[in-house]
Amino acid sequence: MDTSLVMYIAAGGLLLIGSAGIVMSSHLVRIIFGIALLEAGANLLLLLASFREGATAPIIVDGHVPAIMADPVPQALVLTAIVIGVGILALALSLAIRVQRAYGTLDMREIRDRMAQEIADTASIDRPISSHAPLPVDVTSVPSPSEGKG
Amino acid sequence: MNNLLLLIALPLITAFLLPILDRVSTMLARLAGPVVLFITSAIGFWLWMQLGGQTVAIQLGGFLPPLGITFYVDQLSLLFAVAINVGTLLLWPDDGEDRLRRSILSLILAASGSGLALSGDLFNIYVFYELVAVVSYGLVASKSIPGAYAATIRYLIISAFGAVLVLTGIALVYQATGTLNLAQLAQLAPDKLNNLQGLAAFVLMLIGFGVKAELFPVNTWVPEVYATAPTRVSGLLAGVVSKLALIVIVRLLVLVFHQPEAQTVMLVLGILGVVTGELAAWRARDFNRMLAYSSIGQLGIMFIAFAIPGQAGVFAGLAVALHHLIVKPALFLLAERWGGSLEKLAGAARTSPLGAALFIVLALSLIGVPPFPGFWAKLLVLVHLGEQAQSLYYLGGLVILAGAALEANYLFRVASSFYYPDNKQELPPAHRRRDITIASVLTAGLVASVFVLSPLAERLDGIATQASDVPRYIQTVNPAALPEAQP
Repeated sequence: MDTSLVMYIAAGGLLLIGSAGIVMSSHLVRIIFGIALLEAGANLLLLLASFREGATAPIIVDGHVPAIMADPVPQALVLTAIVIGVGILALALSLAIRVQRAYGTLDMREIRDRMAQEIADTASIDRPISSHAPLPVDVTSVPSPSEGKG
Repeated sequence: MNNLLLLIALPLITAFLLPILDRVSTMLARLAGPVVLFITSAIGFWLWMQLGGQTVAIQLGGFLPPLGITFYVDQLSLLFAVAINVGTLLLWPDDGEDRLRRSILSLILAASGSGLALSGDLFNIYVFYELVAVVSYGLVASKSIPGAYAATIRYLIISAFGAVLVLTGIALVYQATGTLNLAQLAQLAPDKLNNLQGLAAFVLMLIGFGVKAELFPVNTWVPEVYATAPTRVSGLLAGVVSKLALIVIVRLLVLVFHQPEAQTVMLVLGILGVVTGELAAWRARDFNRMLAYSSIGQLGIMFIAFAIPGQAGVFAGLAVALHHLIVKPALFLLAERWGGSLEKLAGAARTSPLGAALFIVLALSLIGVPPFPGFWAKLLVLVHLGEQAQSLYYLGGLVILAGAALEANYLFRVASSFYYPDNKQELPPAHRRRDITIASVLTAGLVASVFVLSPLAERLDGIATQASDVPRYIQTVNPAALPEAQP
């Protein structure tokens, strides 16, 4: 099997695992790790966009031009993308710490419910939907804010 | 023309110097931000005058297109670069405990927003987009309440996911063409991106940039963030930043991705956005979230409009976008004191008669009641939708009309409650003078535009024609357009 195919499979796998982590996990730190894996997959894919077997760095020494040169552009791009990714990762983790301190949990479902409750409390509304809207269902029978939109 | 770079450099430098300035003199630091934004706005206006109908490309460092970093200046990009500067100036963070930090973030937002509008290179767009995203996390969380942190982290997760999609799309584009310069891509696209890979790249980037533009499946953050962030930040995000992301998508659609399927995807997602946004707004019970959902609906109308092929689509979409750009920040300024339950707003006209009047004017325009500009913008979209041969476009028109009916229902419901004759509960507080002044200025601009409607429409038509002129873009960036591009 040639190298680039293996790498493409690896990139696809990272993207898949990362997406699955974000969608299926409810633990905040795992979701953040999912983002990290996703970024790694995307970066690998970007690097592969110009991959050439056996290429060397495009540096001309003493007039000697390498036979196959690697394309430096994606490498520079990936470097930038990695730096951005690390920054966002750090920001996400620091926010996770703040959320954990405020709510005492890292479970995303619980965080969402607590947040919805907080928004409803600050707006001083008890039911999730308007009593003015002529709805076909009985509004008083809607059990919890998580059932409504948002 | 090199003054253009000041739009990006000046706010950035000031942002990083602000902490030092603050140590020297608090007064100076307080003034520096607004002054710099005023200067950049003035530079933008001046460049607009100078530019006339021309288009200019600026190659940073003098490196020519395939190698260098390009900024492309036409009326469209300059218009939105000015919009983000003026918008940030008008919605400048008021005095809070975190004033310094919010000032720094606002300045970086203005700089990166200008960069996003002007960039002529896909990867630069990605970098500026990420910068806008990171800064907006900071601004959203700046209220320092638990709910704001929770909303921010949920926003960050969706946004980071979107950024990865954009990056994957960029990788697909680079793999097919070997360049990320938009002009060169426009040249190569008919050959190399008019296939399934190109379509996949477009959809990835549409969803990725769509996170900021409140596109249908990736807009769950909108109500949470707008309900917890400072209202001025919400106004800025809903009013201006969402349009910047939208303009990036439109540029890509016009220049690079010509497949009819690309337009269909945008149309379908736009329709779903209008339906979900307006229905959710109809059910919303608090002011902020009603505005948030209504902005999802409005952005959906823009996606429908921009999905119309050719110059007509850009023209109609631009009209709706500029209208919303003025209306939504003004409404969010009113939300500064009216945030919270809609029921508490009963009788609000007594404490804030001007606020109630402004709300009614803005609401009428948002719904699209003649003679307000919102009517003409929506009419333009409907007329051009009617000219299309596909039935899906008719569905889009119907959905816009139904959405307007819903908007009328929920906005009038609120407006009429302002004038409830008697109520036992306490009245909502009056607006602060600075909020009501800025909201009045925005509303006055909106009303004034009714009187210059036809020159305004001509101007917009010109901007749209220029923006959809692909050969011109290629010619401007690369005068010696390469006969054959290298991979």
